[in-house]
Amino acid sequence: MTDWTKIAAAIDPPIPEADAEKIAPVLDGIERAFRPLLQLIPRGADVWEARREGEDV
Amino acid sequence: VTITECSAALRAKKVSSVELTREAIHRIEQYNPKLNAFITVVPEQALARAAVLDEELRRGADRGPLHGVPIAHKDLFCTKDVRTTAGSRILADYVPTEDAAVVKTLDEAGAVMVGKTGMHEFAYGITSENPHYGPIRNPWNLDLVAGGSSGGAAAAVAAALVPMATGTDTGGSIRIPSAFCGTVGLKPTYERISRRGVLPLSLTFDHIGPITRSVRDAAISFHAMAGLQRVDTPGEKVDVRGLRVGVPSNFFFDNLDPEVEGIVRNAIAVAQSLGASIREVRVPDMAALTTAGWLLLLAEAATVLRPFVERRAEFGRDTLALLDQGRLISATDYLDAQRLRKIFCEQFAEIWKDADCIFTPCTPTAAPHLGQNTVQTGAITQDMRPATTRFMRSINLLGIPSLAMPAGFNTAGLPVGLQVLAPHGKEAIVLRIGAAIEDALAIAGRMPEGF
Repeated sequence: MTDWTKIAAAIDPPIPEADAEKIAPVLDGIERAFRPLLQLIPRGADVWEARREGEDV
Repeated sequence: VTITECSAALRAKKVSSVELTREAIHRIEQYNPKLNAFITVVPEQALARAAVLDEELRRGADRGPLHGVPIAHKDLFCTKDVRTTAGSRILADYVPTEDAAVVKTLDEAGAVMVGKTGMHEFAYGITSENPHYGPIRNPWNLDLVAGGSSGGAAAAVAAALVPMATGTDTGGSIRIPSAFCGTVGLKPTYERISRRGVLPLSLTFDHIGPITRSVRDAAISFHAMAGLQRVDTPGEKVDVRGLRVGVPSNFFFDNLDPEVEGIVRNAIAVAQSLGASIREVRVPDMAALTTAGWLLLLAEAATVLRPFVERRAEFGRDTLALLDQGRLISATDYLDAQRLRKIFCEQFAEIWKDADCIFTPCTPTAAPHLGQNTVQTGAITQDMRPATTRFMRSINLLGIPSLAMPAGFNTAGLPVGLQVLAPHGKEAIVLRIGAAIEDALAIAGRMPEGF
């Protein structure tokens, strides 16, 4: 798992340690849910983009 | 009182815009101390504008159904010379020099802005428990949240302080307060209504829409806000025979309060009795899409709020925690979440081969209490925030139109919302079936006690 508190200390401006410790478990939860989803992405898949006006209307 | 009723009374010369505006201001003075729905009220500006609009009507210059009707804007919409706080302390003294595009459009349609409604700080939350301006209370029970982030808008409309208020929806912020307060909320197709001049929360899924007291009023407001010339609002009698209504067999009816499920399934039965064709549909992995959406929101909102990142002490605790989380999301995870979004959008679009619209509950429960952190759905206890946004957040990523409307009231007398989804650009479908259901249920316009 990612060490969120280390990143929080390294970014500019840093996130105070006490605050970083509070949010780390939340980010752990998101990471646990998100990592397996990466297997669903085929190689070369595009990112989402907004539909052009009038499309499907 | 609805827009439709105000509009008819104005044209029949039974009332003037000045009188309607004065009544709205009077009701705000009377009930806002209870609800805390408004951050700013502009009585002098509103009455002056109403007088001009009355004079126009006298001359026969009619701007349409919103001409002379008092409305309110969420305090996220920039309003020239009227402060726009975004529900934050950081922007407490921000006075824009220009109106947002949609504020201008509504002004040109003849609407009279009476004030700016309260909200969750920076629109980043679903309860409107605002640490800077105080909590917004639910007119159906003042101990309950109004929902958010457009909580002031929904509370103001539910208590009939104004017939319409604007809202924004990034993860349910029009639809959740509408469900909790018993109003009609329309989140149109992404970018159907201009976001210019509306302070953002995200970069790729903020939606602008109206909150009203009836589906037909939502249709009128939507057309005005989108600047559409051709008005395609539901008529007096709506025919939905043969309309294919999809009912999800997975995800949307899992872990629901049994009363909510019963009320929503009754709305489905009503649609069937009106001649709609009900069919089961299977939705893609909405929980996965919701996870991707959460990650996208954290990152995008951190980008939006970056200019204020050094002013930590001025944020509410919950908003600051979300800002901190977003700053730690990696660019690769963000891009992969946008790739997943595209995959799920394509999968979801397949459903429209078998259905013209989809019915789901808005939220798994009715409005929770102020300060409540968990909700009970049957035997299951869930964290209130993810539970409340469960049927909402993924829809923002799809960018499709979604109507939240009252489907009934639970045994505690609280409103329960039905969500109607349709393909991109098909607002007319959700408004048509919504109006038919509203007529059949005959619960629109019910007033909370004490207002």
